[in-house]
Amino acid sequence: MFDVRRGELTRTILMALYLMFVLFSYYILKNVSRAMFLNKFDVNKLPWLWILMAAIGGFIAYFYSRFAVKSSLTHAVAWTTALSVGSLLIIWWVLRFNFWWMLYVFNIWVSLFSIVLVSQGWLVAANVFNSREAKRLYGILGLGAIIGAGFGSYFTRVTVELVGTDNLLFVAALLVVLSYLAFRGVAARTEMPLATARAAKEPPPAFMFQDILTALGRYRHLQAIAAIIVITYMLEVTVDFQFSQVAKAAYPDKERLTAFLGSFSLWMVMVEFLLQFFLTPLMLSRIGVGGTLQIPAVTVGLASLATFWWPSLFSTGAARLTEESTRYTFHRTSMELLYLPLPAELKNRTKVFLDIFGDRLARGLGGLLLILLTSVLRFEVRYIALVALAMCLIGLVLTTKARREYVETVRRRLAMRRLDLEEIRISVQDKSTVTLLEQTVLSPSPRQAAYALSLLAEIQGYSLEPLLQKLAASSAPDLRAQVYEVARRSTYGELLDQALAEIRSARPGESSPSVKPAVAYALSVTPEDTDLASRLLEHPCPLVAEGVLEALAQRPDFAHALITREWLAGASTDPRPERRRLAAIAIGVRGSEDPGTLRRLLDDSDLRVAQAACRAAGVLKNRDYLEALIQRLADARLRSAAIDALASYGAGITGALSDLLVDERAPMASRRQAPRVLRLIPEQRSVDALLAALALPSLVIRSAVLRALNRLREVAPQLDYKAESLTQHILDDVRYYYRLSAALAPFRAHKNLKSATGLLAHTLEERLKHTLERLFRLLGLRYPPAEMHAAYLAVHHGGVQEYSTAIEFLDNILERDLKRFLLPLLDASGNFERGLEIFGIEAQTPEAAIRDLIGSDDTWLVACAMAAAAELGFRALIPEIRQASRNASDEVGAVGHAAVATLT
Amino acid sequence: MAELNIVEKVIALEAVELLKNLTPDQLSRIASIAREVKYPPGKTILDPNQSLDALYVIVDGAVEITRNGQVVLVARQYDVLGSWALFDDEPIAVTAKTVEDTQLLRIARDDFFDLLSDNMEIAASIFSTLVKRFRKLVEQQA
Repeated sequence: MFDVRRGELTRTILMALYLMFVLFSYYILKNVSRAMFLNKFDVNKLPWLWILMAAIGGFIAYFYSRFAVKSSLTHAVAWTTALSVGSLLIIWWVLRFNFWWMLYVFNIWVSLFSIVLVSQGWLVAANVFNSREAKRLYGILGLGAIIGAGFGSYFTRVTVELVGTDNLLFVAALLVVLSYLAFRGVAARTEMPLATARAAKEPPPAFMFQDILTALGRYRHLQAIAAIIVITYMLEVTVDFQFSQVAKAAYPDKERLTAFLGSFSLWMVMVEFLLQFFLTPLMLSRIGVGGTLQIPAVTVGLASLATFWWPSLFSTGAARLTEESTRYTFHRTSMELLYLPLPAELKNRTKVFLDIFGDRLARGLGGLLLILLTSVLRFEVRYIALVALAMCLIGLVLTTKARREYVETVRRRLAMRRLDLEEIRISVQDKSTVTLLEQTVLSPSPRQAAYALSLLAEIQGYSLEPLLQKLAASSAPDLRAQVYEVARRSTYGELLDQALAEIRSARPGESSPSVKPAVAYALSVTPEDTDLASRLLEHPCPLVAEGVLEALAQRPDFAHALITREWLAGASTDPRPERRRLAAIAIGVRGSEDPGTLRRLLDDSDLRVAQAACRAAGVLKNRDYLEALIQRLADARLRSAAIDALASYGAGITGALSDLLVDERAPMASRRQAPRVLRLIPEQRSVDALLAALALPSLVIRSAVLRALNRLREVAPQLDYKAESLTQHILDDVRYYYRLSAALAPFRAHKNLKSATGLLAHTLEERLKHTLERLFRLLGLRYPPAEMHAAYLAVHHGGVQEYSTAIEFLDNILERDLKRFLLPLLDASGNFERGLEIFGIEAQTPEAAIRDLIGSDDTWLVACAMAAAAELGFRALIPEIRQASRNASDEVGAVGHAAVATLT
Repeated sequence: MAELNIVEKVIALEAVELLKNLTPDQLSRIASIAREVKYPPGKTILDPNQSLDALYVIVDGAVEITRNGQVVLVARQYDVLGSWALFDDEPIAVTAKTVEDTQLLRIARDDFFDLLSDNMEIAASIFSTLVKRFRKLVEQQA
């Protein structure tokens, strides 16, 4: 029934247990808190509770997601567990005093429990399983969650009259602790360390209501989604209200009401289980997203009609049962699919907004409507049922519209090849999507057809064979390539003849994209793979042999037997570069007993051979090739391959790269590439090596180092960026900025670029700009990078308003010491002089400024300063110019000699 | 005419429209590949029948530009000849001939590309200038 593969079983069971315990606990708390509330208050207070839940829940959810993005998942789970258990014990204790407000607090707390712990459980699952595993295994996790919900409901029913409603809070607390133990088990067995995963995938996008309204105005599909969400959750509270009113009347005793709600939840969970596992996939494949979305509206509408005719616990219970069970099954799955065709950026932004605020806003609106209906209009249950019926009719209209928009949007996205089924973690079985994909596969555009075929291959249980047979005869190589790829992955063996024909027709110089997939496919399905592979390795078309080698990369033993030393020796010394390139690829696949072979290929005069050799060295990670790869960094044509290869060595070579960075005898072209390699190795040792290089005098190296550190901070924020040492670098750069400003002051009026003095002024201005950029890059390593980047743009390019906002922001966020030095530097209102005073830098005459610059270690500034000294006739500087010329390169020395000649 | 040092070359290169977004440091790297050439009067620098392989900046002297035998202009200090040559080797439909002793900076296309391959930020600045120029043209057409 479930496709659990080797190595996944323990992880999956523990993850399912984790979710089970969380849901077990939640279903106890949900029933207990509701029963206590209804027992204490009139049912008319329920809408007020929902409004409070909507308001407070929305804020807490938003702020939790902001906290979560900064915290690791392990920490977040530990903290929420500790807080949950602590809160439950406190709530249990305070409830004994019968404060009326405590029941509001308790119910709101339970709604937060569901927001935080349940969604956190699914986030852990998203980090434990990749999207392909998720499609196979989420069913088991869902089963665990449903069993947990069922246990919670059943346990509440059978134990409440024995232990009392209040004491069930202890059990809930114990279950939260058990869920944490299961989480620890998952964390210990997962490949991706959860300690480094974020507790929220992304920071909540900086959505503004204006942006969301603009998006809603622009996309009709989004309008339909938003309208369905609003009507669904308004209907939920309306139906829940009717049910609660009738249930309270039927069970005036607290324990009996709790037991009844527990029994009812149990029924609900069982129905949800049946619907989710058996009916939802069936309905989606039969009647599509639109039809499935209409089921809740139709069933709740019928139950509401029954309530109107015969208001009773049975009819309101039926409405509640159908509403919640279809919302958690048909509605939820269909809504996930409904988002699918939206552009990713828009989807992320609006989905987060609608998830955080949409349903709560709708519940709040529902609460307001119920206050109007019950407290103002004094409607009885049967008339409220009529309002619910009207909502169902509106829901039907909206889902019809949504279906139309969905199909249109999928069609458009498909045409643009922007539909990603792999990203979503549920299996797409929607009828209209599948039909559209099938039509696109047969369309005249080969690229669209190949894309649609790859999407169809993602759909679980879809029979691809007839399509593959048909498309293997396509005249489009792109499409045939996809056919072989899909057939290989699905182990469909009936295309061997077509694949062999494709290989036979390949000629030397062939570049068809279908050749290599045909080779990989043929080798994966033929029983005579050894014989076929050895024959194809000698095929006159190099692409075929390359396809063999790539296929062998997945089967190392086979590769060793097939690629012999003799073959390697022959190919690596072959006069034809194509054969030498194959030799390089083969070494990457099976290794080489003689490191000299790959070293020779790394030195090959043919670019493609040397590139393949770089890649092979990266695969083997043999330190014998390290020096050669580092040397290749200086060659622009091989640089990209060398960087990738070095990065694949991982943290073990950070020492060598650190040595390269500080080695002043190494070519600058190589040194400045070292940070590009280090930034691809997100380890603490990379950060340490880069931070050490920040003290180097070369501005070019420092810029490259900072860019690398900024990138690392983005991808690995959990690493330690040594705040104290950063503060020192920031202060050094602030001091440098003031010194440059003081040097520039006497020359600000020199705007003539065709003079040496003008060039000096221009150079100093550029240095100031770069120093400012460097400062903000450093700040981006200590404070939130995106916000620092925005502040930099506002300071550097922004208008008056943006500038003031940025200064105010920095004033709030920077720590006192940094603020004291940095803000005067940015302040345009005359505080700059205060900064100069702080560092003891005095105003300079032009001659003194040039003297200082000639004595600096900035080569280009020295050259400009010497030329400017000559132009301005500063004869007193001749000794400094002579001294600087002696220590300088030929080019700068020539400037010094010319300056001395002019001045004497 | 004395040999130009690197600062003087940079001052000359600052006049080149295509390079105007570059910082003095970046210009100094171009200056290091710019070769100084000196021609007597009457030397043809651009020929409509020959493909271009270098850009020239006049440092001193004068160059007469003619089209179909008609003088279009006389280029002088810091004027640029063949600025598109760095990206396109198609001949241009003018003749450029020195009219007096002339000192020029010559930037060969191959050297320029080698430099760009190691200095991505220079390439980015030049792209930026080209895009601005293209945008201006489009706006003029609109």
